[in-house]
Amino acid sequence: MIRLLERAAAASPNHAAVVTNSGSMSYGELLADARRVAAALTARGIDRFAILEPDAAWILRLLAGAALVGAEPCQYQPDTSVEEFVSQAPALDHTIVVSHRTDLPDSFEVVLPEDLLAVDPPDDLTAAATQPLMIRTTGTTGVPKAARHDWSRLARTVEDAKPHPEQRWLLAYGPQQFAGIQVLQHVAASQATLIAPFPRQPKDGLAALLDNGVTCISATPTYWRFLLTEARSRKVELPALEQITIGGEAVPADLLEELSRVFPDARISQVYASTELGSIASVRDGRPGFSVDALFSDANPTSNLKVVDGELWVRAAAGMLEYAGAAEPAPAEREGWRQTGDLVEIVGDRVEFRGRASEVINVGGVKVPPLPVEERINRIASVEMARVFGRPNRLTGAIVAVEVVPVGGTAGADEERIRSEIKAAVADLPRAWQPRNVSFVDLIETQGGKTARRMEP
Amino acid sequence: MGVDLSEARGIITSFLERAEKSTDGVTDTTGLWGDGLELDSLEAAELSALLEDAFGSDPFSAGDDLPETVGDILAFYEAAAPA
Repeated sequence: MIRLLERAAAASPNHAAVVTNSGSMSYGELLADARRVAAALTARGIDRFAILEPDAAWILRLLAGAALVGAEPCQYQPDTSVEEFVSQAPALDHTIVVSHRTDLPDSFEVVLPEDLLAVDPPDDLTAAATQPLMIRTTGTTGVPKAARHDWSRLARTVEDAKPHPEQRWLLAYGPQQFAGIQVLQHVAASQATLIAPFPRQPKDGLAALLDNGVTCISATPTYWRFLLTEARSRKVELPALEQITIGGEAVPADLLEELSRVFPDARISQVYASTELGSIASVRDGRPGFSVDALFSDANPTSNLKVVDGELWVRAAAGMLEYAGAAEPAPAEREGWRQTGDLVEIVGDRVEFRGRASEVINVGGVKVPPLPVEERINRIASVEMARVFGRPNRLTGAIVAVEVVPVGGTAGADEERIRSEIKAAVADLPRAWQPRNVSFVDLIETQGGKTARRMEP
Repeated sequence: MGVDLSEARGIITSFLERAEKSTDGVTDTTGLWGDGLELDSLEAAELSALLEDAFGSDPFSAGDDLPETVGDILAFYEAAAPA
């Protein structure tokens, strides 16, 4: 991160690097502050710290400053409850917290971000050889788990990035997420501008898209669905986009089609990455999944992708170094290959994603992936959005359930007609796959910008 | 629990209509399985979820024995109703 900032600041020091709710900062200003942060961390003897901060301009300065002196930062979601933070931070050896929060207990040493700008850096400050970064995994419960990365490995994914100072990237992910870190890196490597509103809900992203000249967005399929829904309900005309990047979840075909229709000039990239395995693959042909030609074979021995028993296995090119905080070892590895937990199916010339193994619904012994069912329902014109998940049932172990957001909301929705349309849409699927429980909601809950499809208690 | 039995009957009727099963001649003594409504496990699971959503519990999930007739379902809620 620090090397990317140095390069961008040398090329265009006055170019806007980041725009947040509190203003904008140039690359030159960011770098100068990052060097001050580095000097302050050294002066205070801080080699590891937690960050509880929503403002992306502060996060960039703290991450880059830490990288400069080899200190290990770890971001937490900025609105993490005190109770959750107190229960998780010790396991990750976090006793020092950089934050504007005033509700953290005295057992932590809380440092204001501004206090890390108080030390003038020496002129001969050079980047540390190792530049650690801890990234907490999303959606974890119980024992906290985090992946330990190094910036030098992470930066491999952006080493071919060309300068694009005209690009304005929306930060739709939390910068504490692996995908958020990728966006920060890509923007700095491209010497572009990061548009980082907070909160980071799709409606905030839409506002930034309309008001701040956003040209590029990287987000989950769930985020894109919410953003498109928000735009439709507000009847706003969406501006053209140059780049759409989509990842973090399996990408449904109907969403790809809608994005192509709404943003006809945009280049659409699907990325495959995870906190533990790093960035693995990118597809730009506008079709769901990826080509079977990209799989490991005698003809393609350098590929990092293969399918074993319906699950994707990968070779991590820029993956984590190790887990931190959890007793469990890194994901099982076989001759350099690791299981991903992502179910795939080879359909013709494509490898198509079918969702997470942990989301599979066991209906009386029949294993049902929720995503293909959800895709059918999302294609219904009167359905704005749907979420398919497993609901426990004594008779069959589980049944397939679906939450539906009707177009126009639940008020006045013709529920019986939508039920009939759902029934017709899934009629040719196996009976165990067909939703047995339909509920109507105005909002679908998400977790880390993704749709939660795991079995509900 | 205070369940309105007519509401429970309504849920059973609308479930049968959605499942494209005849509601003609359905009485409290009509069996749920076999020669009666011929529910299979998926259909019974669907009905149990509908009843649970409406009343917070259902006779398919409570107790050891599954209900055998429409009347058994109604009796479950009748028994749970306050005196």
